[in-house]
Amino acid sequence: MSLQSGSQSTKPLVDPTPMPADVPKVAELGATSGPLKSAAFFIGAYCKDYNDDFMLCKNESRDPAHCLKEGRRVTRCATDLITKMRENCLAQFDAHWNCLERNNHEYYLCRKPERTLNACMFEKLGLTKTIPGTPEGQTPVHELKSPLFKAIQK
Amino acid sequence: MPVPWEALIPFGLLTVMFGAAGTLLNASTKGQNQGKPPRYHIDRWDEMMMKRDEQLTGHPRGQTSDPVAPPGFETRSTWYGERAP
Repeated sequence: MSLQSGSQSTKPLVDPTPMPADVPKVAELGATSGPLKSAAFFIGAYCKDYNDDFMLCKNESRDPAHCLKEGRRVTRCATDLITKMRENCLAQFDAHWNCLERNNHEYYLCRKPERTLNACMFEKLGLTKTIPGTPEGQTPVHELKSPLFKAIQK
Repeated sequence: MPVPWEALIPFGLLTVMFGAAGTLLNASTKGQNQGKPPRYHIDRWDEMMMKRDEQLTGHPRGQTSDPVAPPGFETRSTWYGERAP
C-alpha cells in the first residue's frame, strides 16, 4: 500500500525521482522525538566530530548537495549510538523517554530516570551528559541536589 | 426535627456535573493522545518533530526507538505525482 497519507493505492510507492546512483545510500534514523530527546546529550558527546563537520560545512553553503557526505556520516553515527544504547541500557533508556513522553518532553520533570540512564551510559559506554555553556564553578542543572524548578509532587 | 436534605440536592448536582465534565474531558484528551497527557506549548520545532513522528509511526504521539526507519520513510514527506498502477 502506498504509504502516503490519504493515498488509495494498494501498490507500493515507487520513487519516480530517485537519487543518482553515485550517491551512497544510508538508512535513515528511525527513532522518534522522545527517544531522540533522551539520547540528545549522548549523541552530542559520541558524534561531536561528525556533527561539528556537518555544521561547519552547512555554514559554508546552504545548498543541499554540498553537505551530503557529512550528513550521511551524522546519520550513521547517530544510528550507531542508538543501536549501542538499546543494546546496553535498554531498560533505563525506555524508562527515560517514556517519562519524557508523559511530561511534555521536559527534562526537569524526569530527573530520576535520567540519573539511572546517565549512570548506565557512563558505566557501559563511557559517555557523560555535559551541558555546554555551564558557567565555571556552577553545578550543572541536571546534577543539582535541590533544584528550584521541579515537579510539584515528589 | 426533619433535616432539609432537599437543599443539598443542588450541591450534589453541581459536584456530579463538574465531576462528569472533567472526567469526560480527561478521557477525551487522553484518548486523542494514546493514553498520555497532551503536549502543550508546542513550538515550530515540536511541530516539525511531531510531523516526523507521524511519518515514522502513523500517529503524532507515536514513539519508537528503532535505529533504522521503516522502508518508504525517505519519500513519505512529500507527495509525488503517482501514476495509477
